[in-house]
Amino acid sequence: MFLRWVTAAYLVYLAVPIALLLVGSFGELWLNTLLPTGSTTHWYVDVAKDPSFRRAFAASLAVVAITCTACVAIGLPLAYALFHTESRRLRALVRVLYQLPVALPPLVLAFGFILVFSSDTLPWLGSIWLLAAGHVVLTLPYFLQAVVADMQRLGLSVLEDAAESLGSNGWQRFMHIVLPALRHSILAGLIIVAALSIGEFQFSNLIAGFLSRTYPVVLLQAFYGATGFACAATVILLALALVAAVGGALTSGGAMQMKAAAA
Amino acid sequence: MSSATMPAVALERVTYRYPGTQAGVADITLDIAPGELVVCLGPSGCGKTTLLRLIAGFVKPDAGVIRLNGEDVSALPTRSRECGVVFQAYALFPHMRVWENVAYPLRVREVAAEERRRRAADMLELVGLTGLSDRLPAHLSGGQQQRVALARALVFGPRALLLDEPLSALDAGTRVAMREEIRRIQRAQNIATLLITHDQDEALSLADRIVLLNEGRIVQSGSPHEIYDRPADAFVAGFVGRANLLDARVIDAQTIDTSIGRLLTSPHGRAIGSTLHVLVRPERIEVASAANAATGENVFAAHVLRDRFFGATRQVEVAAGNGRLEIETAMRDDVTQLRVPREAIQFLNAQ
Repeated sequence: MFLRWVTAAYLVYLAVPIALLLVGSFGELWLNTLLPTGSTTHWYVDVAKDPSFRRAFAASLAVVAITCTACVAIGLPLAYALFHTESRRLRALVRVLYQLPVALPPLVLAFGFILVFSSDTLPWLGSIWLLAAGHVVLTLPYFLQAVVADMQRLGLSVLEDAAESLGSNGWQRFMHIVLPALRHSILAGLIIVAALSIGEFQFSNLIAGFLSRTYPVVLLQAFYGATGFACAATVILLALALVAAVGGALTSGGAMQMKAAAA
Repeated sequence: MSSATMPAVALERVTYRYPGTQAGVADITLDIAPGELVVCLGPSGCGKTTLLRLIAGFVKPDAGVIRLNGEDVSALPTRSRECGVVFQAYALFPHMRVWENVAYPLRVREVAAEERRRRAADMLELVGLTGLSDRLPAHLSGGQQQRVALARALVFGPRALLLDEPLSALDAGTRVAMREEIRRIQRAQNIATLLITHDQDEALSLADRIVLLNEGRIVQSGSPHEIYDRPADAFVAGFVGRANLLDARVIDAQTIDTSIGRLLTSPHGRAIGSTLHVLVRPERIEVASAANAATGENVFAAHVLRDRFFGATRQVEVAAGNGRLEIETAMRDDVTQLRVPREAIQFLNAQ
């Protein structure tokens, strides 16, 4: 009974801010009252028409796309190498890499980037590519974890041995066996990466140039203006995150089903 | 050599050590004739899986030559060796349907799609899986997965079939049925086969020939009868079947002393006064009860220490003289006496 109360209380605590955001985004005026007065949808129209929000939205999508592409391009070969390595040093390095998001807060990473990339030799501060590069550092460990765990679960090296004994060459093994067998975990890893990248604020706030500001960075500015506008802008971010979360739940659900069937 | 007499698989003095360890195999010479089923038997860690990996090409020998159909393949990569391998956990590709798994070797050989489908269907019929070809491996039972793995390993007409503990992942009932299936399919394909196992029942019932491996070396090679009835040494006798191994001292040409007492034997030709091991299989010892006393030579009083009932037989451990004997018998009465027939006593080479 007690546990139920705690759970219920916690869920309410989680839901209230979200509910208030929703209410606020449809409220005409919200000043010193418990709930806003009047109802409207024009805040959403305003956000959609706002040039800086439109640009930020596009910038965020671009950063997510670059980050996801880079995570696959770097992460997949890296995961493959990590899975097959016998080197203890490399394994130790990986454990460090996995802890990186905890050990290296985005703030610290951002200051490092500012130091390095504000010089005349590397004047890339403010470019969208540098922003994405930072997001890769922050999200790659999550991608690696998802993929390497799946390789171990599948017993990928035995599958590769089997494929080799059946006559396939290295490229065929990668295209026919490795990639398709890992498709669920690659997708799940990418959804985590996208969700983290879209919501990332600390690093982006310090690194982004004025024209490459991402959505969460611009969002902060909104809270200096009309409450309804700010709420509507936040709800849009929330919707994006929700899409990612549902997508993640569906893909990992698919993986769970496969596991259950295999058991 | 003509192709009729040329072995399908030949190993000549093959040695391999895992880097930085003592594990591996040493000085292995072994032929497998076309259509022959050789079972490689040994305790875990004896090097039997290494032997399979050497033939399949997953590891390359430090010394020696491996030939398939007479061709030296020692330096060839796995994919060029054309060996069908069935792995312990089957290693079916989880994202491919049953028929796609079976057709995979044909796909990488660029066989036309139509023919791939047809040949996969033929193979699935041979292994008795017609009707399941569109399933995913995760939706098959262990025995069915095993059949798919077999079909996949045979569909491309390999030079040899290599099976790594193929039955160890199955439950006891399925295992015996699957044993017969492997034998049937191997016969139907008439393919040189090496089966790795640590299970002596499996080896005795399946093999044309058993190769017994211990600590990386071949200890004995022969038909199941030879291995069981004429084991080369105490290790073989103890590993294959149940065995009473007794230390013995030779008294005269037909008499030895053992811990259970003085035994009359067949003429053995060993030097008088020498010490050696003798083997007596538990099922060769005759037992008698109080109501039905034994007569004749080599009769001893027996005191039952342990009695296990298995339905068809009983396994009884008895004390006799100053020693102990394991006995296997179908008799239901109390065991009070035993008799060791002369022909049940086998002399082993000193180890």
